[in-house]
Amino acid sequence: MRWFVRRITRKGKGNVGYQDFAFDGDTLTIGRGADQVVALTDIRSALAHAELTALGSGKVRVESKVITGVKIDGRAERNAIVKRGAVIELGGVRVKLLDAPKGFDAAVEVSPLESVESRVASQALDKTLADTWLSKRRPAWFLFLVVALLFLLLPMFAHFVPQTRPVIDIIPLTSRMTWQSGELARAHHTFGDRCETCHEKPFQPVRDEACGACHGAIPAHADPAKFNLPALGNTRCAHCHRDHNGPDQLIDAQQALCSDCHRDMQASSKGATKLVDAEDFGTAHPPLKVNLPGWNDEGRFTPSRVELKPGLREASGLKFPHELHLRTKGLSGPEGSRVLDCGSCHVAEPGGGRMRPVDFETMCQSCHRLDFDLLAPDRQVPHARIPEILAMLDEYYAGRALAGGYEDARAPIFVQQRRRPGQALTAAQTIEARAWAGNRASEIGESLFTGRACNVCHTVTRSEGAAQDRWIVDPVRVSGVWFAKALFPHSGHSTMQCGECHAAAASKTSTDLLIPGIDNCRQCHGGEAAIKRVESTCITCHRFHDSPYQLMGDLQRAARESKPAVPEKKS
Amino acid sequence: MHDSFLTFANKRYLWVAIVLLLGCLVAYIWHDPSPHPNGGTWLGYTLGTIGAVLIYWLTSLGLRKRAYSSNLGSLGGWLSAHVYLGTALLLVALLHSGFQFSWNVHTLAFVLMTLVILSGFVGVFTYLRYPALMTRNRENASRQSMLEEISSLDQQSLQLADGIDARLHAIVARSIDNTRFGGGVRGMLRTNDASEQALRQVREALEKREKAGQSAEPRTQEMPTMYAMVDFLAAKATDVQAETMRKLLDALSRKKSLATRVSRDIQLQSLMELWLYVHVPLTFALLAALTAHIIVVFFYW
Repeated sequence: MRWFVRRITRKGKGNVGYQDFAFDGDTLTIGRGADQVVALTDIRSALAHAELTALGSGKVRVESKVITGVKIDGRAERNAIVKRGAVIELGGVRVKLLDAPKGFDAAVEVSPLESVESRVASQALDKTLADTWLSKRRPAWFLFLVVALLFLLLPMFAHFVPQTRPVIDIIPLTSRMTWQSGELARAHHTFGDRCETCHEKPFQPVRDEACGACHGAIPAHADPAKFNLPALGNTRCAHCHRDHNGPDQLIDAQQALCSDCHRDMQASSKGATKLVDAEDFGTAHPPLKVNLPGWNDEGRFTPSRVELKPGLREASGLKFPHELHLRTKGLSGPEGSRVLDCGSCHVAEPGGGRMRPVDFETMCQSCHRLDFDLLAPDRQVPHARIPEILAMLDEYYAGRALAGGYEDARAPIFVQQRRRPGQALTAAQTIEARAWAGNRASEIGESLFTGRACNVCHTVTRSEGAAQDRWIVDPVRVSGVWFAKALFPHSGHSTMQCGECHAAAASKTSTDLLIPGIDNCRQCHGGEAAIKRVESTCITCHRFHDSPYQLMGDLQRAARESKPAVPEKKS
Repeated sequence: MHDSFLTFANKRYLWVAIVLLLGCLVAYIWHDPSPHPNGGTWLGYTLGTIGAVLIYWLTSLGLRKRAYSSNLGSLGGWLSAHVYLGTALLLVALLHSGFQFSWNVHTLAFVLMTLVILSGFVGVFTYLRYPALMTRNRENASRQSMLEEISSLDQQSLQLADGIDARLHAIVARSIDNTRFGGGVRGMLRTNDASEQALRQVREALEKREKAGQSAEPRTQEMPTMYAMVDFLAAKATDVQAETMRKLLDALSRKKSLATRVSRDIQLQSLMELWLYVHVPLTFALLAALTAHIIVVFFYW
């Protein structure tokens, strides 16, 4: 084998010279020893440092004669077969395998490694983290793009291209659900991922029309014709109803939303209202007002709204001493002794809002029987229907007179006598029997109305008019709704005893108003900021959407078109 | 007296941050919106704007520190403000959110911001602690000069070793070859170099020679060849060789001390830089999340 060896030398600044020589032999020895083919001078090299053996066809075996090995293409090796182009570093020189020129089997180029300075530099491979694989820029842009893609671009793509939603929206990371600042209100969960139900256009606040699509029929707050309050129409739904605040937070109960107008009603309504200022239930709320029963000249029930204060009487038209009926020892009636309590007569409506009307037939009649004749103790007149009562009495006594067998000593004898079937009265007897029957019906009626039945509970006056109108029973009605402008649910107070609010057990007359005032409420309820009371804001008792005149949708439309809204009175 | 970034200009930015925080806190407590404080109230928008401006500005420190010709205040001042206002940002963002968290892009932005700030705290700690440690470790020499000295000690050791025995030369050469400072992330974060080994072996050879006849301590399994050489040397060395070996030992000891110091220097510097490799990428993730947060809030307004 014939080796071609080229030695490169550095002369001064940047000048390079070289020396070529040929070596005949298989193995090229390299080292600091004098016997080496390639003699080195660097103190770092061993006397015999490495051997290169040409294997033919461009392959060379590299053997290190020192334990540390030599660096072949940057890796420490002790024995390796390399091809041309390989670079071997040892003892301060770099040995590069070249293409063998013509006439040679192998060729190497031996050049010195750089100066001391670069040796120093090469000892400290990486001086700072910036020299390593660690990078700030690459992960920074990677994370930037990943976050932007997952949480902004893909969800936005799903918004603009609905066809992609089945794919993008089912992946939790890319779904537009990650855009939600909070959970939707319970009822709005039905929208699912159809965000555009409310968010119609990007970068446009939710419009009232979007709410109105479902909620347009909700009543407005006040009559805009009476109260020229632009705030009523201009108020966005979202002013009070902010979604994405959890399942139960859609209605903003903050009392400031009401009190900013209601704290100075005369000014804010320009004198149009009779309402008294209210701000905080605990500290700034007017006395309660109740609907007292009343009737107009035509007899229509027209309750009057009156401030609730001590000594106020009510006139329901009924005579009913609560105290008597609530006696703990009980009441003796036809069916024996019975102890009544509030619930015997006052039953809440389904839903628990108001009380059902007291029903005579089921609640009173078992004691207050409407029987009218000792000879027919099971027979009773109907309650409240005067013409029917009178007709019933007339028919009953006429029938008894004609049938006979009415064993009352005061009746004509032929009325008292039993008659065989088919045995008719004479014409004179018939006339007399009818006269008796008429008198008897009238007498019994008098006794019922003014004596032992109607008059017990009702005020009955006698009239000189026709028989139908002989007795006038004053109308009876309790208010039904005592607080017309507020909602009081008995169902929400079921842990209380009735007597804690209604002093019925001591009430001897029905003109006692048993509806408690605001002080009673304030024993438990305070304003929004109450600490030792139930925090109660305006909408705990009142409703914003309670106008009988106008719908919210109409009002908002009118406000948008900046035309005065024409109120349409709903029947 | 040296002005650290924490005490810059009589802690001017500490006071700026405190005033900012107090202002935000007072507004937050006074505001009390219904149903609960959130980013959608006027105060929420205000705090959000302050927070976003702060984040974009804090990020711009990366630009400012590259803008050498900038006349927008000193870099020290910027860093001081960066640290104090960055810390204040944590509370500003909490108040902006009204302490509401959920699995969404908004909380993602908050979490990323918190991680960025926490990694920044690590940075503050290292900047306060490590420069002093580095100065003490270097003993006023520069790393370059220590490396140059190591290089000349290496030359000296090789010559000394060569004068004793070719195999000792091999040991020393190997030790030099194995001396690597830094090298990879793990290499930089640990202090190790190979000079310790060569030193131990030579010292052992000497001791053995002096206490000839006594058996050596039990050997570990590693590198039996080296021990064999050392044994050989210890047994056969002449007095001249022993003297040279003492010189070699001295050179190696000095190198060892320098090498340890350089390794420690690299380690300290790496530790001081490492937090930035978390801080900066997370900042960019935060920028994306913040931008998404802002766009999304108004996209579905």
